[in-house]
Amino acid sequence: MTGRAHPFWLLAPVLLVLGGLFLTALGLTLIRSFRYMPVLGLTEPDLAAYAAIVTSPGFLASLGLSLWIALASTSLSALMAMAAALLLRQTFPGRRLIGFLFQMNLTVPHVVGAVGILYLVSQSGAFARLAYAGGLITAPGQFPALTHDPLAIGVILLYVWKEVPFITLILLANLQTIGVDHESTARSLGASPWQTFRHVTLPMLRPGLLAASALVFAFAFGAYEIPLLLGASSPKALPVLAWQSHTDVDLAARPEAAAMAVVIALIGLALLLAYARLTRPMSDRGRDAR
Amino acid sequence: MLRTLAALFLMSTAAIADTADGEALKAMTWDQIVEEARGGTVNWFMWGGADTINRYVSDHVGAILKRDYDITLNRVGVADAVEVVNNVLTEKEAGITDTGAVDLIWINGENFRSMKQGDLAFCGYTDLLPNNALVNWDNPAIANDFGVPVDGCEVPWNTVQFAFAHDSATLAEPPRDMAALLDWIKANPGRFTYPAPPDFTGSVFVRHVFYHAAGGADALLGPFDQARFDDAAAKTWAILNEIEPFLWREGQTYPNTIAQLNEMFANGEVAFTFNYDPSQFGLAVQAGTYPETTRSYGLTGGTIGNTNYTLIPFNSPNKAAAMVVQNLLLSGDEQLEKAKPDVWGASPAIDITRTSAEVQAGFAAIEGHPSVVSADVLAKAALPELQADWLTAIEAGWQAQVGN
Repeated sequence: MTGRAHPFWLLAPVLLVLGGLFLTALGLTLIRSFRYMPVLGLTEPDLAAYAAIVTSPGFLASLGLSLWIALASTSLSALMAMAAALLLRQTFPGRRLIGFLFQMNLTVPHVVGAVGILYLVSQSGAFARLAYAGGLITAPGQFPALTHDPLAIGVILLYVWKEVPFITLILLANLQTIGVDHESTARSLGASPWQTFRHVTLPMLRPGLLAASALVFAFAFGAYEIPLLLGASSPKALPVLAWQSHTDVDLAARPEAAAMAVVIALIGLALLLAYARLTRPMSDRGRDAR
Repeated sequence: MLRTLAALFLMSTAAIADTADGEALKAMTWDQIVEEARGGTVNWFMWGGADTINRYVSDHVGAILKRDYDITLNRVGVADAVEVVNNVLTEKEAGITDTGAVDLIWINGENFRSMKQGDLAFCGYTDLLPNNALVNWDNPAIANDFGVPVDGCEVPWNTVQFAFAHDSATLAEPPRDMAALLDWIKANPGRFTYPAPPDFTGSVFVRHVFYHAAGGADALLGPFDQARFDDAAAKTWAILNEIEPFLWREGQTYPNTIAQLNEMFANGEVAFTFNYDPSQFGLAVQAGTYPETTRSYGLTGGTIGNTNYTLIPFNSPNKAAAMVVQNLLLSGDEQLEKAKPDVWGASPAIDITRTSAEVQAGFAAIEGHPSVVSADVLAKAALPELQADWLTAIEAGWQAQVGN
């Protein structure tokens, strides 16, 4: 017996969870979004819920805000994580402490971090009180509005704080696997540090970076609790809009909530497909870096 | 062996089915129901945002139930009763008619209407509870939940009435009626705001402005009327848009939840907060979140009051035990206990004159918390709630006309 176990049996537990729980829930949401809810007396499927949400006045603004939050958080996190990973690869005094701080960050839930952001940077938070004590401001309203603001600065701040360690640790693992040989070769052939980074290191890190960024984007786009806690009341992020429809006192709003959830899921899916296409040709080119 | 197991299994399902079968329970006497309830468990889903209320329910009520009836009370905290409505709705969709996860819900208003809309409540049993005699069902504010007839589908628990709170150290004389409040807002920019509907408390504040714009609540009672709504709504949106530039953050954003407004009031960012349940102000002062100089008051034109209830879902498997819990909550002793300010400070839903002399003496002896305006004072100017259709229209109108 050479250990060629039928792959199906090894995959069965995962398939059970994915198919049984996740896909079923997705399917039921899809059915509800087509306004098929016999418990409410809706027995004729139609697209009325989709029409209603797309034509509702706040939908485009919410979609735009969600895309902005996700794009800004992901790009900032990716850039900072890239720099952090390259730095943390070396040893220097205090490296273990900084490494520990990065790992500890992963254990703090997003919601706890959001409350922390409120305590620190809201107009009556710790920084504002320091400014008041220092005589820089005389009223809470004079401190810059970093939470519940139209640019969602507080939300982006939280996502960046939480996702930089996440992407950094993934990149660090990748860098360890790649090793320093390629870069040493490039440097010994006369490449400058920047050229080495741009033509050797970056292409090899690209799949890992894109994978981590896709995860971060999908999460930042679809999560509702952070924009609810830290975001403005109008325009609301798209998941907050969906959550409000889902908790509307009128049960007839449930199909619209399901429709919004499906839209969010479709955008996430489109992103994953885009990532798959971006990385497939790259993985071949990356192997013979010059 | 297998036959014994099968017999045991069938017997246990039969035992479960007994207290899940509401119709069978309605045919029994109260003593029989208490016997059925012995050894049962009640999963009570209620708003969990106040430690004092949680302690009263879990420790005090739970202990009495265990001691006197051998019932285990399992309090489940939720952020909003609408989550529980969603739970029961999904269970009904899945065909779970006898073994629901929810035995009792703390509920009222629009959520009650949703339960009725989906046929999700167990109804028609309330006359069986002995303490139901303490409730004055002739009072329309109790017989109707936000204009929807209760019809024996829920049991009253507390009455509440909306009140404002301010810090008397920074604002000695607050505006005492709606017109004065609107003027005060314009004179003090950035010092007032309200949570955006559909938040429950933000919604009731907007309704106060709505009553003010309509010239009183009387014109709005009864079923939803589009013409009367449009008339009052136009004036309301005009008022709210007029004060918008003078609100916190120039009205470009509103707090998303009442918790956020409470936080801003505690931090001194705004001068007012408000709540359906003024006892919350006293509890916050005791917890050290609000300053001790916090004082609360109602408007001279009146503030809105309502009743909140407990309800048993149609698919609860422990209906007998849940009915025993409801009966206990209605008793004079329990209504007195939760009215004490250091326990909760909640106003009773029963008619005190129908209780024993001891309980009445107990109520008379209660000294209110200095930060909490007394329920009697508020009740002198009480406004009724509108039917739920008005609420939905007002919330939708606010989001379209003011909130964007």
